[in-house]
Amino acid sequence: MALEFISPEGLRLDGRRPAEIRQLRANLGVIDKADGSATFEMGNTKVIAAVYGPHEVQNRSQQLLDQALVKCEYSMANFSTGDRRRKQKGDRRSVEISLVIRQSMEAAIMTHLLPRTQIDIFVHVLQADGGTRSACINAASLALADAGIPMRDIVASCASGYLNNTPLLDLNYLEDSGGGPDVTIALLPKLDKITLLQMDAKLPLEMFEKVFELGNKGCVAIANYMRNVLLENTKDLAFARGVVKV
Amino acid sequence: MTEHEHAASVGEDVELEAFRRLYPLEFLEKFLKDGVRPDGRPLGRARSTLISVGSLPHAEGSAMVKLGNTTMLAGVKLEVMTPSVDFPDEGRIVVDFQMPAICSPHVRPGRQSELEPVVSEQIRNALSSSMMVDLRELNIAPGKAAWMAYLDVYCLDSDGSLLDAALLATAAALADLKLPEVAVTDDGKVLPASSDVQEHRSLKNIQSKRLKLGKIPMALTCAVHPKYILPDPTAEEEAILKTTITVLTDFSGQLFSLYKPGGEVLASTSTVQDCFALAKYRGKELQKIFNNAVIDAEADDAMVED
Repeated sequence: MALEFISPEGLRLDGRRPAEIRQLRANLGVIDKADGSATFEMGNTKVIAAVYGPHEVQNRSQQLLDQALVKCEYSMANFSTGDRRRKQKGDRRSVEISLVIRQSMEAAIMTHLLPRTQIDIFVHVLQADGGTRSACINAASLALADAGIPMRDIVASCASGYLNNTPLLDLNYLEDSGGGPDVTIALLPKLDKITLLQMDAKLPLEMFEKVFELGNKGCVAIANYMRNVLLENTKDLAFARGVVKV
Repeated sequence: MTEHEHAASVGEDVELEAFRRLYPLEFLEKFLKDGVRPDGRPLGRARSTLISVGSLPHAEGSAMVKLGNTTMLAGVKLEVMTPSVDFPDEGRIVVDFQMPAICSPHVRPGRQSELEPVVSEQIRNALSSSMMVDLRELNIAPGKAAWMAYLDVYCLDSDGSLLDAALLATAAALADLKLPEVAVTDDGKVLPASSDVQEHRSLKNIQSKRLKLGKIPMALTCAVHPKYILPDPTAEEEAILKTTITVLTDFSGQLFSLYKPGGEVLASTSTVQDCFALAKYRGKELQKIFNNAVIDAEADDAMVED
């Protein structure tokens, strides 16, 4: 065995228990010029998201008459990973993640209320330590909420995996590259519907159910956290406007 | 607030916003006449400036700079390279300024902003003309190995005076840069310091160190109106006035370069001198902020080592 991912005491490499998520931190309204923006941190993974729109469609030929056009771009800072990597923009991985983020957001945005408009979602990874996909979806979801775009529900995402015969929640980079399966889930928590489910590597079906269940619970926990952040932010805004008095 | 009053204040807000959009120059001039800027600062002042270093654990040196709303994040990654034949004892610093689509509504994904290469080039020129870093500091083994420092500066929020903020982030990240401890073999192979010494008998250890910094360059962008000079303009002011003069100096006010990329207002000698005086004042202000940020970081280092 190359690496023990779980110590005999049942602790993971970074000291967490198997079903524990990393510390979450989120901030709203971090970019002044954007219509909505947010940073989202899961442990050492840190991403920043900005939403511009709804505005008129830039490329008229792409305009949709009955719904909003959602665009998404994912990029990574050159210093976000251990080894410096170049030419991130437009490579296959970023294109794929952009697509995944866009589609999971489209499931939540009430696009039919905003016909002939365009919504731009930009996410930028400042630090990568596993789970960037989930962090990006969470950040994008908060930024959309901050922009006041009508949504059915917030989208919360979390990854889970299976290593050393144990289901693990919210994998970090070391665990992610440990060769086991990596299941990313994005959930609409109020509707209790899954908008994204991705898995690579082999996993027996009965194990998959356990891992999936764990990931689902992670999403619910993250959704609760996001809801609190949004509530806090709304309170602050209401107070600043003088609508609420203490 | 009663409902009626509330509605009235909303109406005024809308009117003000409309005036601001339709007559931007008149809007700005109304403020300037009273000696203030739209964001509330006095005419000749820069926005509040915040520098924090060492915020990125993956990078060998990093800094975040906030200039009002303008936010820059700079990180340095090191790689080992073979030095050129002409300069066998020198490393290299490669600066890249980037504006990801998040930073402004005017940046379109996929299309490179015109500003990116311009600011990159200006930072590069500032580093070389100020000689802030002696490239021989990046030497590992003469003729065999040297450090290549990739410095990426990302604009996270673009609200005017980008070069000022980017250059400050560059300088702070380089001040924060710590060359790691390495071991070098006779034939110039560089290994992490923890490598097994038994295997390579001819191993030479090189201690971890910070760079010795020379004169630190800074920039002050001034937006020029026929009657007024506005240092450190916001994006709105830059867009209205269209003419800027950028002065590059070090903290003590020694001039490195001047940059006035065209514009509607022609600069007289006295305008340039005024800009220069503003830069000198700004230099003193920045020196304090810069030293505090960097010294704080070094003190933290010392505490960790103890």
